[in-house]
Amino acid sequence: MLGVSTVSGDKFIDYHSPNRQLHSGVWNPRDIQNYFESYFPEHKYVTSVNTENSEIYTRSWLDSEEAQVQELIFWIRTSISIPYWEGLTNRLVTLFNDAKEEDSASPGISVGSLRNFYNFFQSHTDLKCPTISLTPDNNIYASWRVDQKKVFSVLFLPNGDTRFVIFKPNDLHPERQTRISGTTTTDMLKAEVAPHGVWDWISE
Amino acid sequence: MKGDPIPDQHHVARLCDNKHIDGVFIQATAFMLKSRDDSLSVNWLEFLNCSCRESEIDELRNTYSRKLKLGARAKIAVMTVGEVREKVLKESPDRRNLKALHDPEYGIVNDPSHSGIYNLKHDDELIAELILETVQETYPARK
Repeated sequence: MLGVSTVSGDKFIDYHSPNRQLHSGVWNPRDIQNYFESYFPEHKYVTSVNTENSEIYTRSWLDSEEAQVQELIFWIRTSISIPYWEGLTNRLVTLFNDAKEEDSASPGISVGSLRNFYNFFQSHTDLKCPTISLTPDNNIYASWRVDQKKVFSVLFLPNGDTRFVIFKPNDLHPERQTRISGTTTTDMLKAEVAPHGVWDWISE
Repeated sequence: MKGDPIPDQHHVARLCDNKHIDGVFIQATAFMLKSRDDSLSVNWLEFLNCSCRESEIDELRNTYSRKLKLGARAKIAVMTVGEVREKVLKESPDRRNLKALHDPEYGIVNDPSHSGIYNLKHDDELIAELILETVQETYPARK
């Protein structure tokens, strides 16, 4: 049995994955829709709900990291209500396929990085849509670029940490650029970068 | 010859695979090191001794297609060596002095213009963003 994955939410849901076979290899967004049409409408696998707990636990008995990644993308697609979320999850599917095409033995996207990425967006639903790509180690890298001098990029590491880069105009010399980088936990990222004005240009 | 520094006024090309492209835009991840690598693979364009840039890119496309599985959206990014080195030297927090060295590969597929950008680390996201800003031209990697 695989470990429990945790995401923030307003309910405690303990569900068992159905005994279905997630296929490996190329995967398209339609698969997600088919999955949900056959899986979630009846909430067939939700076995307990505890609204007092502020976390959602998803438990999976699937036996590979690749399957966990697919499972998690399936799950997160419907769990956040942001206008661009469907497009962003389709982008995750594309990246998963790109990584599998490059190396069929890889899990596609690092499952820890994906979980970390999800936790961040789940906590900050006011963000503008970033561009996302994968690092050579298949961790998720999100970037927000505003005009030519403002960049905020975040690397979501599998262990819950993030490394970030900020390029912004120098407050006293706007023609010059200030460049900052750092490492922090995902839940501290906003507090760390907000003093640099980042949130003003990456949120709606 | 292996280990020769590439002159600052010369150009290098970097193959940027699908997972480093969002839409049509190359992302900084294209300039990050793989954990097993100690340099960023590039190709020295002037070494190919072609008559024009299009010919150089065609030559690289041939090499890449024999050597690698190219994604449909993969791109080739072209940069001037001196601009990359100067930008990173001036703008990285530790004034990093990158080296661009010839590192030809001979094997099942010969890649005589293969070169490397050295002195990068595995957590150099800021430098990857700086290198991205020096990209001058991009071309589809597939013919």
